[in-house]
Amino acid sequence: MNFDIGLVFESIPKMLVGLGLTLELLILSSFIGLVLAVITLLMRISGRWFLVAPAVTYIYIFRGTPILVQIFVIYFGFPQFEFVRESVFWPFLREPFWCCILALSLNAGAYVSEILRGGMLGVDKGILEAASALGISKTQSFIYITSPIAIRLSLPAYSNDIISMTKATALASTVTLLDMTGVARTIVAQTFAPYEIFLSVAIIYMIMAWMIQKGFGMAEKRMSRYLKPAAG
Amino acid sequence: MSELVGWADDYFWGAMVVLRVFAVSLVLAVVIGLIGSAMKLSGSRVAQTIANAYTVVFRGTPELLVLLIVYFGAAVTLTAIGQSFDASVKFIDIPPFWAGAFAIALIVGAYMTETFRGAFLGVDPGHVEAARALGLSKFQTFVYVRIPQMWRLALPNFGNHMLSLMKDTALISVIGVEEIVFVAKIATPVTLKPFTMYFIVALIYLCITTVITLAVMAMEKYANKHLVSSR
Amino acid sequence: MSEQEPIIVLENVCKYFGEFKALSDVNLTVQKGERIVVCGPSGSGKSTMIRCINRLEEHDSGRIVVGGKELTSEVKDIDAVRREVGMVFQSFNLFPHLKVLGNLTLALKLVRKMPKPEARETAMRYLERVHIPEQADKYPSQLSGGQQQRVAIARALCMNPDVMLFDEPTSALDPEMISEVLDVMVELAEEGMTMICVTHEMGFARSVANNIVFMDHGEIVEANPPEEFFDNPKHERTKLFLSQIIGH
Repeated sequence: MNFDIGLVFESIPKMLVGLGLTLELLILSSFIGLVLAVITLLMRISGRWFLVAPAVTYIYIFRGTPILVQIFVIYFGFPQFEFVRESVFWPFLREPFWCCILALSLNAGAYVSEILRGGMLGVDKGILEAASALGISKTQSFIYITSPIAIRLSLPAYSNDIISMTKATALASTVTLLDMTGVARTIVAQTFAPYEIFLSVAIIYMIMAWMIQKGFGMAEKRMSRYLKPAAG
Repeated sequence: MSELVGWADDYFWGAMVVLRVFAVSLVLAVVIGLIGSAMKLSGSRVAQTIANAYTVVFRGTPELLVLLIVYFGAAVTLTAIGQSFDASVKFIDIPPFWAGAFAIALIVGAYMTETFRGAFLGVDPGHVEAARALGLSKFQTFVYVRIPQMWRLALPNFGNHMLSLMKDTALISVIGVEEIVFVAKIATPVTLKPFTMYFIVALIYLCITTVITLAVMAMEKYANKHLVSSR
Repeated sequence: MSEQEPIIVLENVCKYFGEFKALSDVNLTVQKGERIVVCGPSGSGKSTMIRCINRLEEHDSGRIVVGGKELTSEVKDIDAVRREVGMVFQSFNLFPHLKVLGNLTLALKLVRKMPKPEARETAMRYLERVHIPEQADKYPSQLSGGQQQRVAIARALCMNPDVMLFDEPTSALDPEMISEVLDVMVELAEEGMTMICVTHEMGFARSVANNIVFMDHGEIVEANPPEEFFDNPKHERTKLFLSQIIGH
């Protein structure tokens, strides 16, 4: 059994074409997901049952089911309904790309809102008391004190979530999209060389994950300037 | 509605397949995790490098890809080996169930390695010293002092890994395992209600993940019962 | 508000934490310019009492009147009261993500709606008052405990409160830093600030306080000027406490 290096190099340009789609999926979903996450978080902490209940339900459903199933429900399932087929969104919802974006964004929104909430819970209660004692209102306290600290606390978990999202984009290949994994599967089907092709694609994903981790590491370092240095 | 009832059976058996994959993968993943964390904590440069490479690779690669590599790669390898012995061999593959279970175990095992490693490091060395000072052997200390403490620390993350593992099992439908996603796939052209079919799949997963979450919460309560909660 | 009217009144105040009665019929009157020291064993309710005064804790029965306003569950009343009551915490509670100057100016900008330059000027003035103007651009984590607590005092003073509440301000400090904080508090007292101070520092109490309040099990057992309090304690519990604290 030989390892065909030549095939690897031939395939890399083709896979970089897929990289474009992978990045589109990642960036768009992360952004929309973040917006959804903030909205969901605010709903969750609002204290009003009619906001908390939908938020909690949404989080529960999207963290409790596999992303693949979420994609399938949207891509294969939505067309079942006439009101979907007739709606103004149909041109989007019939496209696998937008179905994936929808599924990935909803998924990200649920996870990230919990991550942000975890960050919020990590803020020292004493500091919030000091703010209250100074007469700072709850809303002002949330914006100027809780948020900056919570964001810094959320960074490690958030970076892990972004990396998970990067890997989740590979699922787009199950609904005909030619992201990196989709391209790879096509090439493997033609060449019967799973190791060479899949391994090279895996390497590209790993490099992406590494870069994301490094990027967030730097951001975290910057945001942690004000913390006590670790040395005793 | 009546045609849906006809599929209840298939969904049930599909769910059984899912649970079997879950169980097998979980056991394998825990074993891999314990070995991996032991290697990382061992002090041997070689062991640490291998373990580090393992966690980096399997945490940085998409789960779907790992699955495809394991399944198709194994088939290619086995076929090649088979052909070297007997030229008439056309195709050997491993049953997708096992390819899937193994692939998922490799993925989640990488996360478990990190969790167990962190948890072992979190065990108070003072407790270990006290045990040894009392005369317990290394093995006894490991079993009666380190593992119970490590387990309590690992539980929250371990619970999350179990949930991920559960959700990863959905991927095995891609390599042809006949579980619930597969059922939805073949039922759709018959019932013409794809949303309903896939929604049931989602519902089944939701039920299973809920049970797992409740079980983990109960385990956490039990593991922490000796700790006094402060006001 | 006339000169005779007390600045703080507690009338029959009770507070429960679940089953536990933390405050039991507490009555206290504080005049403008008075310096009250509250002492007592742990769990006696001292912290709870002063935290009720700026409503960080809510009292369950009785009346609390601060600066003429009664404390109720009306939010705007509470914010108004808190602007006039400054608090210094045992664990400083400085905002870690803001520099020292930022810590002082945040409330000025958000609550007093002061424009930036004015806020900065006010902040620097109070930093000088606590003798650490050179630390303005540092983060709290870069300061010593004593410096951090002084920043916390300056932060509270920036709001120009009528009353200052101190909740064991030196209990979390290393011994060598206690005096720098107490010195600032003594200066404040000499300038006429109304203060209620929960502390174990009896030397400070003796030299600065008009009235020393001893609490035990949620009740005020004894309240007397320092000479009476230390030299002539009336109750057994007070005597016991004093012997424990002054003993060594």
